[in-house]
Amino acid sequence: MNKAKVETIIDKGQIAFIVDDDEAVRDSMSMLLETVDLPHQCFSSATEFFEQYDSSQKGCLILDISMPGMSGLELQEKLKEANSLLPIIFITGHGDIPMAVEAMRQGAIDFMRKPFQEENLIGRIQQAFDCEADDRSVRDIRQKVVEKLALLSAREKQVFLLVAEGQANKSIAYDLDISERTVEVHRSQVMRKLEVRTLAQLVRIKIDSEKPS
Amino acid sequence: MKLDLIPHGLTTSSDSKESQKNAAPLLDSLLKNLPGMAYRCLNSKDWPMEFVSDGCYALCGYDRRDIEEQKVLWGECFTLPEDVERIEKEVTRAVEKGEPFEIEYRITTRDNQEKWVWERGRSVEWRDGYHILEGFITDITDRKLAETALMNEEAFAKALVDTVVEAVITIDEAGRIDTINSVTQEMFGYKLDEIKDKHIRILMSEPNNEEFVKYMSSHLSGEESSVANEREDNCKRKDGSIFPVNLSVREVISVSNKSANLNFNHKVERKFVGLIRDLTARRSAEQEAREQREQLAHVDRLNILGEMAISIAHEINQPLTAISMYAQSGIRFIDSGTSKIDRVSDALNKISIQAHRAGDVIEHIQQLTKQQDSRHQETNCNDLISDVHKLAEVEAQLRNMKISLELSDKLKQVRCDPIQIQQVILNLLRNGMESMEGVGFESANEIIVQTNPTEKGIKISITDSGVGITKEFAERLYMPFSSTKESGMGMGLSISNSIVKAHSSKLDFINNKKAGVTFFFTLPYVEDVL
Repeated sequence: MNKAKVETIIDKGQIAFIVDDDEAVRDSMSMLLETVDLPHQCFSSATEFFEQYDSSQKGCLILDISMPGMSGLELQEKLKEANSLLPIIFITGHGDIPMAVEAMRQGAIDFMRKPFQEENLIGRIQQAFDCEADDRSVRDIRQKVVEKLALLSAREKQVFLLVAEGQANKSIAYDLDISERTVEVHRSQVMRKLEVRTLAQLVRIKIDSEKPS
Repeated sequence: MKLDLIPHGLTTSSDSKESQKNAAPLLDSLLKNLPGMAYRCLNSKDWPMEFVSDGCYALCGYDRRDIEEQKVLWGECFTLPEDVERIEKEVTRAVEKGEPFEIEYRITTRDNQEKWVWERGRSVEWRDGYHILEGFITDITDRKLAETALMNEEAFAKALVDTVVEAVITIDEAGRIDTINSVTQEMFGYKLDEIKDKHIRILMSEPNNEEFVKYMSSHLSGEESSVANEREDNCKRKDGSIFPVNLSVREVISVSNKSANLNFNHKVERKFVGLIRDLTARRSAEQEAREQREQLAHVDRLNILGEMAISIAHEINQPLTAISMYAQSGIRFIDSGTSKIDRVSDALNKISIQAHRAGDVIEHIQQLTKQQDSRHQETNCNDLISDVHKLAEVEAQLRNMKISLELSDKLKQVRCDPIQIQQVILNLLRNGMESMEGVGFESANEIIVQTNPTEKGIKISITDSGVGITKEFAERLYMPFSSTKESGMGMGLSISNSIVKAHSSKLDFINNKKAGVTFFFTLPYVEDVL
């Protein structure tokens, strides 16, 4: 484990959330993460985690698949409904493989069978953190783009879409049945509001706005 | 048709004005009260009416005058065209023979209603050789409709009786067979003429079975007539074969056909319908289901070992996981320098606690297996082995292998807990099969189960031709969680050994000269234990 990398994790404010009903498993995992100074929090049940969960929480979830009460799979479903971006690493026992397969199909990032290699765990948490950070930045960019696009008037939006499609001012003027001069005015307004200077940047915004959330 | 033309007005003239005066009131009131229309008409085309009684209005909607003045003609205005020819023929025939005629046909009334009427009349000599017709016509529409409905119902009932899956047999008060449906023929192989008027007993497997006789007589005597009481019994086909049935008898009240047309003096015949349903298919399905259930329960009991292994796996995995992570943490603390050395002892302490936790789980399992010792009973060990063989054979076939039995017939009775011993044998068979699969069946693809009577009891040995047991592995063979199999739990032999021990024996093995290993143990004879 690269120490510098761990520090970058801390900078991002990411936390490994451990949810397992077995105290010894929780405690030992906690100790292991302590050795690499990886920020983490422990929860003894899926319900306990879900009750305190809010969408600003960053990092990843290390989740025991079979627990009394709310199971790991049920928590996964609830988080999905809440549009959570937290990647989930499932911890599975001996006979849980079919459940693990289902968990992966539902979008889990990884699963590990008990007992597992410790390096593996830390490395996988690292991957999950990276993945979550990427997802979050994509979402943040999209969020910003959506906010900026909301500033455009209806006419400006039409012009924006046509410009982004690569149409010349003349053809836009023809399409919208307005003068070329007016198109130029709208176009400069669009560039100002979207805070872009080049056509390439404008196209980028259109592409970002179309990314799935 | 021959037309006798009679001058108009002829029939209204009278011989004696005096007698008519006296007779008229009586006749009038008589005619008025008739449920229909009396008439006198010419036997010519369309039957012009000379006289009709007051009933004509109710019958066809016209006043006497309209008809008597021949403003409307019977044959033209009332009778349905398609019926006219038939009426003419019948009337002519009767007139020529000097007989009365009786005929049913349809008329259309003034308000366009269609009615069925019944007419009876005859030719009467009026005077000077002239003949006229006199008669009576009445409305029989209701009866006709009822008849049609009845005909439909009968056809429906017959169709129904022929489509049901039951044999439907009607019998009389004495229990004699009257009619049967087509299912009966198929079910029993008899045709109606072979069994008609024979007692229904002929169809039963035990005609004199007391219960059946009682059942039938209580029905036939009327005690049970209102309730269709069902019973299960056995019937006998023509060829003598017996089959299980569901039988019920119900009384139907029937009016005999001969008396149905007369509206008086009903003769009520008591009739009974017997329904017989063939239960052969259902019985065999039930039997199959029962056998399957028993088989499943058996497999279930034998799978306890497998299930136990899974839950043991889970219980042991938790402390193992924790131990592994504590250990790794300890190493990391040490590697990171002296600042965290106190955390190392924390980690080691926790490892120790978790190791004990794992130990507790194992002790608990051993207690569980000991608790099962109580059900020792006298058992035929050949049967016991055959049972296991059936279960394991499926698995063997999947692996393209064979399990051969070499069982001694001399002494078979042993005292043991059959389920536990079956678990042991099944476990040894599975181990053997896996081991042989592991070496690709290089020597053989057969496992042999043998029994040999010895001094102490019956020795059961299971011989495979797999990898055999190495000297190193032999030492920890019966220890829990030692396994040579990739996915093995290492519990099978450990539990098997404790079961055999509880039978005052020892699970032992010997490597075969050629290949593989033979496991064996001895079950005590019944007498030794007693």
